Amino acid sequence: MTENEKLRKLVVDWLDDNYHFGDAESMIDGDDEKSFLQSGILDSLGFVSLVLFLENNCHVAIDRARLSPENFDSLGKIIRFVVPMSGFHITSEALGLVHE
Amino acid sequence: MSVTNVEFLFFLPAVFLLYWLGPRHRIYQNSILLAASYLFFGSWHWHLLALIIAGTWLDYFISHQFTKASMPAARRRWLLTISLLFSLGSLCFFKYSGFFAAAANDALQSIGIEQALPVLKLLLPLGISYWTLQRVGYMLDTYWRRLEPAGSLLDFSLFVCFFGQLAAGPISRGSELLPQLQSARRLTAQWLTTGCFAFLLGYTLKAFVGEVLGESLVARAFASPENYSSLYLWLGVLAFAGQVFSDFAGYSLMAIGTARLFAIELPQNFNAPFISRSLPELWRRWHITLNRWLFEYIFTPLTTSRGWFRSRLDIGLLLVFAASGLWHGAAWTYVCWGLMHGVGMVVQRNWDVLYRGWCRGNRAFVTLRKSLVYSLASWLLTIGFFVLTLVPFRASDIQVAFTYFYGLFTFSGADKLDISPLVILSFGFIAAMHIVELAPLNAVKDYYHRIPPLVRGLAYGFAVALLILVVPFSKGTFIYQQF
Repeated sequence: MTENEKLRKLVVDWLDDNYHFGDAESMIDGDDEKSFLQSGILDSLGFVSLVLFLENNCHVAIDRARLSPENFDSLGKIIRFVVPMSGFHITSEALGLVHE
Repeated sequence: MSVTNVEFLFFLPAVFLLYWLGPRHRIYQNSILLAASYLFFGSWHWHLLALIIAGTWLDYFISHQFTKASMPAARRRWLLTISLLFSLGSLCFFKYSGFFAAAANDALQSIGIEQALPVLKLLLPLGISYWTLQRVGYMLDTYWRRLEPAGSLLDFSLFVCFFGQLAAGPISRGSELLPQLQSARRLTAQWLTTGCFAFLLGYTLKAFVGEVLGESLVARAFASPENYSSLYLWLGVLAFAGQVFSDFAGYSLMAIGTARLFAIELPQNFNAPFISRSLPELWRRWHITLNRWLFEYIFTPLTTSRGWFRSRLDIGLLLVFAASGLWHGAAWTYVCWGLMHGVGMVVQRNWDVLYRGWCRGNRAFVTLRKSLVYSLASWLLTIGFFVLTLVPFRASDIQVAFTYFYGLFTFSGADKLDISPLVILSFGFIAAMHIVELAPLNAVKDYYHRIPPLVRGLAYGFAVALLILVVPFSKGTFIYQQF
C-alpha cells in the first residue's frame, strides 16, 4: 500500500467512523475531488476534527495559515497537501484506530 | 434609499444602462458600480463616506505590504493589528459603545456611583457589520498568504462596498469576488434571467411574505404576550421564524439578483434552513456566509492552535456563538440568543460523540440513525429549538422574553384565532420553497427550468402585477439591515 493509499484509507475510515457509518465511500462515489463541504460529507466542525486527527496520526504539523478549503475540501486535496509534508508517516496501528 | 424603496426602481435601471451601454472595460464598469455604491451609501449618510473610504485605502495599502518577502514577521503582525484596530474599532465604537457604557453604568450604579459614563446613541453606518467582516476576512487571507492582494484600489473599493450587498451581505470571500472584478464582464441571457428571477423571488419573500407574517401575527404577539393564549403565542413565534427567514433570505436573493444583472455572482446565503435535522446542518443552511466566516476566522484558528484552546471544541463553539449573538446586536437579548445556540451546539456535538460510541458497539444504532423516525425526531427537535431561541431574538427585552416563554408553556387561554388567507398563503410559500429542496422533489426544479421562457416571463409579469397591487412601496425595513 502506498502512502497515498494509506492516507486515503485513514480518512475514509475516519469519515465512516465519525460521520457516515459505512456510507463514506458511497458518498464519495469514486470521485476523490468531490467537495466535502458542498456535498455534505463534512462540515466546518468536522473539518477541525479531521485536521486534529491528521496531526495526531500522521505526525505532521499543519501550518495554521494553510488551513483552508483549498487544501482540505476533498480526498484528493488532502492527499496532495498532507503526504508531501515533512515527517509524514502513518503507523499500521493508526490505520486500525480511527476513533477521535 | 433601500432596495425596497421606489427610488431603487429608478436607481437600479439607471446604473444598469450606464454600465452596459458604455465601453466593455473593467475600469469603466467598476467605476460606474463604485460611483453608484458611494451614492447608495451616501443617500443614508454622506458624512460617513469618509469612514468607509479611509478604511478601504488603509487595508489596500497594508495588504500590499504583506507581499514583501523581506518584511520581518513582527512588522507584518503590527500592520495587521493596525488594520484590525481600525475596522473592528470602528465597528465597536459605532455599534457597541452605547451598550457597554450602559452596562458599565448599571454595574457602577449597583455600588452607588450614578451615571459615570456618557451613553452615546450613534447613527450606525449602513451595513458596517457586513463590510467590516468582509474586509477583515480579506486582510487575514492576505496576511496568511492565502490570497493575492487586490490588483487595484478601484477593484478593492468595489469589493468593500458594492451596493448590491452593502446593506446586509452576503459576506463574500476575497477569493470569490475579487477575481470577478478584475476582468470585464459580459451580459448574457443567463445572467439576466437568473438575476431577474432571484430579485423577484427575494422581493416577494421580503415585501409580501415577511410583511404579511410580521403584521398579522408577530407584532401583536410580541407587543403584549401576556394578553394572548399559548396557541396564539406558538403561532406568533412560528410566524416570526417565517418572517425573519423571508426578510433576510429575501434580501440576500435580491442582492444576488442585483449582482447578476451586472454579471457578478455572490455566494449563496440561505439554503432551505427549515429542512435541517441538526444544529450544525442548520448553521450550514442559515446565514451561510456569516457562519462560515465565524468558523474560518475564529473557530478553526482557535481550536487548531498550539495554545490552550487546542481541541477544546466546546469552548470554541460557545465563543463563536456568543460572538454571533453580539454581532447581531448590542443587547442582552442577542447575547442570550447566541449563548443558547452555543449551548445547543455543544449538546449536539456531545450527543453525536456518545451516539457514535453506541454505533461502534451495536450496528442496530446505525440502522436507527438512518431511519425515518430518527430523521423526523431530529428535525422536530432542531426546528423546535431554533424557533424557541427566536423568542429572546425578537423580544424587546429579557422581561418580555420570559413572559413570552411563560405564556408558551402554560397552555392557557383560548382566544379566537383570526388567520387570514394571506397568512396561510405566506406559510405555504415558505413551505413550498423548502419542499422543492428535498431530494425526492428536486426534479420539480428541473421541470420548472424546462418551461418555455415565454410562459415563465408571463408568470413573472403576473407576479409583479400582483405584488404592485398588494404591496405598498417602502413598506418596512430589513430586520437584518439594522445589524
